[in-house]
Amino acid sequence: MSQRSAGPDPKLLEILVCPLTKEPLRFDAERQELISEKAGLAYPIRDGIPIMLVDEARPLDPDSQPMIG
Amino acid sequence: MTTEDQNRPEGTTHFGFRTVREEEKASLVRGVFDEVAPKYDLMNDLMSLGVHRLWKDSMIGWLRPRPGMALVDVGGGTGDIAFRFRKRGGGPVVVCDINREMLSVGRDRALNKGIIEGISWVCGDAERLPIPDASMDAYTIAFCLRNVTHIDAALKEARRVLKPGGRFLCLEFSHVTVPGLREVYDRYSFDLLPVLGQVVARNREAYQYLVESIRRFPPQPELAERMRAAGLERVSWRDLSGGIAAIHSGWRL
Repeated sequence: MSQRSAGPDPKLLEILVCPLTKEPLRFDAERQELISEKAGLAYPIRDGIPIMLVDEARPLDPDSQPMIG
Repeated sequence: MTTEDQNRPEGTTHFGFRTVREEEKASLVRGVFDEVAPKYDLMNDLMSLGVHRLWKDSMIGWLRPRPGMALVDVGGGTGDIAFRFRKRGGGPVVVCDINREMLSVGRDRALNKGIIEGISWVCGDAERLPIPDASMDAYTIAFCLRNVTHIDAALKEARRVLKPGGRFLCLEFSHVTVPGLREVYDRYSFDLLPVLGQVVARNREAYQYLVESIRRFPPQPELAERMRAAGLERVSWRDLSGGIAAIHSGWRL
């Protein structure tokens, strides 16, 4: 149980893609984020659950708008 | 498109019987489910007189799970479909729900049942799934599609994530096809259900929304047509309990 809450399911991380670009993501274990370089977004992992919602993602470059399309 | 859709101002959609801006709907729906999440399964029992359990069994029965069959279950945060699929011998499941509260309920239930493998939980939107192209053998969506802002976008996403030969199944409240039953069901759902929502979940508005959203959902033949338009093939449906609910089936070929 402690293992589950410690981090996300590794098999799930292999599967997930960016909901905007549908491209693979990079896992930043330290920040507990999934990075989509192309979309310029970091999707947070909260309580072991990846939050793959564009409106809850952190823009990597705060000056640029996320690519919606 | 129904006549009602065409008469709506551009950029708006329906939230139950209210017309709201499209951008508003997702957060309104999320609000409904955040509030009712802890009582959601109990309320489903009341809304369907307990029969939703049998309907879910029927959907899994129709799917015929087999080992290695990869499933994405959309909107099934509390785990009802995923648990059944695993129990009937299915392969790995990704449960994708837009609502975090529902996912927490589902994950806790999985732990209580001693299920630690085979089910992954992810927060995502049916219209923009975080799932690769052609990666799933099956896609299920139970009591969720009517809450999605753009049904056609969700159907296209379903087709996209399915492998060729993959199966789409949607279980949803539908339109009663038996005349005598229709009146009884209308009385029950419009007069009694919001009161039950008030008493059990302390949220009359949420259940008022649920009842209205059911009436707004496309009737069986229209949903079948929209599935075909999204590229699904061999589309068919089965009415459950006289059409109170229906299961729609389609394939990516």
